[in-house]
Amino acid sequence: MFGLIGHSTSFEDARRKAMELGYDHIAKGDLDVWCSAPPQLVEHVNITNPSGKSIEGAYIDSCFVPEMLSRFKTARRKVLNAMELAQKKGINITALGGFTSIIFENFNLLSNQQVRNTTLEWERFTTGNTHTAWVIARQLEINAPLIGIDLKQAKVAVVGATGDIGSAVCRWLSNRTGVGELLLVARQKQPLVELQKDLGGGRILSLEEALPEADAVVWVASMPRTLEINSSKLRQPCLMIDGGYPKNLDEKFSGEGLHVLKGGIVEFFHDIGWNMMALAEMEKPQRQMFACFAEAMLLEFENCHTNFSWGRNNITLEKMDFIGEASVRNGFTTLNLRSFLQAAVA
Amino acid sequence: MPTLESKDVAVLDRPDGSLGDLPDFTSDLYKDAYSRINAIVIEGEQEAHNNYVDIATLTPEKEEELVKLARMELKHMRGFTACGKNLGVKADMAFAKEFFAPLHNNFQKALSEGNLTTCLLIQAILIEAFAISAYHVYIRVADPFAKKITEGVVQDEYLHLNYGQEWLKANLDTCKEELMTANKANLPLIRSMLDQVADDASILHMDKEELMEEFMIAYQDSLTEIGLDNREIARMALAAVV
Repeated sequence: MFGLIGHSTSFEDARRKAMELGYDHIAKGDLDVWCSAPPQLVEHVNITNPSGKSIEGAYIDSCFVPEMLSRFKTARRKVLNAMELAQKKGINITALGGFTSIIFENFNLLSNQQVRNTTLEWERFTTGNTHTAWVIARQLEINAPLIGIDLKQAKVAVVGATGDIGSAVCRWLSNRTGVGELLLVARQKQPLVELQKDLGGGRILSLEEALPEADAVVWVASMPRTLEINSSKLRQPCLMIDGGYPKNLDEKFSGEGLHVLKGGIVEFFHDIGWNMMALAEMEKPQRQMFACFAEAMLLEFENCHTNFSWGRNNITLEKMDFIGEASVRNGFTTLNLRSFLQAAVA
Repeated sequence: MPTLESKDVAVLDRPDGSLGDLPDFTSDLYKDAYSRINAIVIEGEQEAHNNYVDIATLTPEKEEELVKLARMELKHMRGFTACGKNLGVKADMAFAKEFFAPLHNNFQKALSEGNLTTCLLIQAILIEAFAISAYHVYIRVADPFAKKITEGVVQDEYLHLNYGQEWLKANLDTCKEELMTANKANLPLIRSMLDQVADDASILHMDKEELMEEFMIAYQDSLTEIGLDNREIARMALAAVV
């Protein structure tokens, strides 16, 4: 059995969903009630891959909402309690979605293996970052040519280049895709220098310097809220892949020749018959989902019950190959710029 | 949606992920709060002992097992009494008696009417879940002596929770309605008991929010074990928040 740990995108959304699901006691409560609410296993689901293999899964809502980010203790409890529930339910492999893995990493929850009388078994969990990185890289490879960008000549900026997903995308782009030039953007200088050395190339730039030069931008960092960008200074065409969480790039950028694609999203080959992806504001919630969630499904389909994506900077090209092949084999495709893809097919 | 870039995001100041300092167990403020919390725990264990002995009168065939459970509660009581002595604190037993009075009265009423389901819900589910959750939170911030005692107690309390669950599970068909009614009458008491001790608990570094969450987890787990579905549990839990 695979598991997905997710949460709503806002408190308001969470209350509405809870009401729909019949969890009135939580739905009617204020934020303090939500802070005290236990995680809920809200949905069981069965999915079948193209070769007819069926697996069973469960969706756990941690009852975390982004409004709790300012409450360190609450946020960490939400994540640990949801993980404990997943383990107690006997789920083999569970993906940590949305803010779950970010909180786990940033708040150093690795030192909290004991939750009440449960010792968390890390091998039952995955951040899903390997699949996310592979999907983002593929989204760039597939969609850039559709809008007239030749990646062999193009400058590709990776914003958040030193993070777990960012560094994996950089490695893939420089070793497999072969882009014109990689522009490396991140907040801290030292890890950038190390990444550059590791990659054997790439140019370190500030965000302001990188954007006007880039033909494509891969965002895997949270977008600074205060960031103001003059879209007229961007290149045309320009492909923006929004691989961060939350996905809010389209609020910042618009303009002719500017294409924003939600990054790290995959589509399954048939409807799944679940309710939960409507929460995540997917365009086609019956088929589309975060690549990190899909990673748990892939690991279950492939009987690969390990914490496949875990810790920082452990994503190798070989692991990306493995999960990428599994992704295709089990009926997933990456989310693409739809209108362009249809035109190209026509 | 807030993002990690927002100004109002918590900053982790302890790289080891720990929650911070333990309280000063020697301060007057701590000892004053502890005199009430410690008393509640001692009284709770005494109540539990008496309740299991009483429940045995409703199910004579289970007497041996129940008396064994009751004896364990007395052992816990002695352990927690030692915790207070260790800190030089005199437990405020008068406060604790009053604290338990509403729940005590409900139990006695159910007992006199022979309502085993209600008795089990109050003692073996509500009080045990309340105890387990409070002990889990306490263990994280207790002095070393009390921590060791409490860790031992928690393991026993799970057995007691389990006892109530097993009976209710086996008899769910016939006792569901009474269970719902008893929940409606008694869960709000747990909530108000929690409210009453919130200030003292926070001096012991036990957050009300965390206590409530731990209780809801233990309670929800227990109801799931008994065989209720998510919606039924949601309906029952509603009694705690409204």
